[in-house]
Amino acid sequence: MRFFLLALAFVVSGCAATQPDAVLRGDPLDVMFLQMMLPHHQQGVEMVALARDRAQNEELRMLAAAIAQTQATEAETMKGWLTSWGEPLTAPPDSHTGHGGMRQSDPEEVARLTALRGAEFDQRLLNVMIAHQDDAVQMARWETGSGANPEVKDLADRIDKSRTAQIGMMKKFLDRA
Amino acid sequence: MKTRTRLALASLSATTAVVVAFIVPTTPAIAHGTMSDPASRVYTCKNEGPETPKSDACKAAVAAGGTQAYYDWNEVSLLEAGGRHRQLIPDGKLCSAGRDKYRGLDLQRADWPAKRVSPGPLTVTYHASAPHSNSNFEFYITRDGWSPTQPLRWSDLVHIQTFNGQNPSTFTNWTLNIPNRSGRHIIYSIWQRVVGSNEAFYTCSDVDFGGGTTTPPTTTTTTRPPVTTTTTTQPPVGGTWAAGTTYSVGNRVTYNGVNYECQLAHTAISGWEPPATPALWRRL
Repeated sequence: MRFFLLALAFVVSGCAATQPDAVLRGDPLDVMFLQMMLPHHQQGVEMVALARDRAQNEELRMLAAAIAQTQATEAETMKGWLTSWGEPLTAPPDSHTGHGGMRQSDPEEVARLTALRGAEFDQRLLNVMIAHQDDAVQMARWETGSGANPEVKDLADRIDKSRTAQIGMMKKFLDRA
Repeated sequence: MKTRTRLALASLSATTAVVVAFIVPTTPAIAHGTMSDPASRVYTCKNEGPETPKSDACKAAVAAGGTQAYYDWNEVSLLEAGGRHRQLIPDGKLCSAGRDKYRGLDLQRADWPAKRVSPGPLTVTYHASAPHSNSNFEFYITRDGWSPTQPLRWSDLVHIQTFNGQNPSTFTNWTLNIPNRSGRHIIYSIWQRVVGSNEAFYTCSDVDFGGGTTTPPTTTTTTRPPVTTTTTTQPPVGGTWAAGTTYSVGNRVTYNGVNYECQLAHTAISGWEPPATPALWRRL
């Protein structure tokens, strides 16, 4: 039975070449949530980092810096869980094809943002980040609804709340611009 | 992995195999898709080009909510819907599935590009870039007398037909029996995945029956929301942490009886409570 569960975990979590010695395993959905959230987080951090030198709105610069720092800390927590469970930090490239792949902003978006300055940059970053954090809310609600590990679900709940609040702030910034 | 699976399955009793068959597909597969004919709003604007929309409606949608929605045209979905569509999506936001990312799709306009249709049989096509088996597809049309310049509410939708237990391919056709209508209407669809995921997809396709009410001129009244002045509340020293307050580096707060000092200037929000955000707060 133990072997069956292990094999099942392999099947469900994307059959990665995980360390065969690992005994502790996270729930497959928790693992997938974390493996999908991590690159999403990193891309978000990459985009908000552009605000420092480009944004015109001071409130946006402040929010962007706080998003960058809080998401970096969250990413460390998520990495810690995956590592302790002997899971890879990212799923093998083809393992999510059945899941439609990652919800991710267009990588070209970073290039588009990089080319902008001032009010134009602000508007584009706000719209892109609203979309990006809206995707994060979706993933978080998936984990809180269908995940298993209470700590992971707790983080997902904070992601849901904080991203929802950020979207509210960003919509206000857009309205005022 | 294949060897492992085979080995594992070989060692299973028949009853356990049934359990596996049930459990394995619960992998949270994320499907993707939207209506391609009549084209949904998101499909129309995606085809016009997110950066270069042609129609006034798509231009307005991009202006209202940015371009990202149209790159991710196949994800107007709720991952944890599980059939609770009416509970999760508020009236007026049916086209965006209540998601801010897709808010441009909810614009109340009489000039969304629309397919000319007639009452009677209509073949519709769903474009699923990641089709998944075991899905239910529900189709609706707006009630007689509905106008595209009004918000779309759940009570505006009249059920046409539901196709259960569908195994869609990349392009799947169904024939709907369209009731009598005049003027502009919306064909609304819900794709609810049944096995392996709670995810559901939502589409708004504009159609035009001709005749009926004259299309009202598009009054582009850009309603400016009232300017909300942000009052940067200076926190009293030693005050209780409160969402909505803007904190500067060095500000001190109490949260659940514990004192914290602000490490990075920010406006506090729910989900960023001091114990959970060491990047923002240092415990004293």
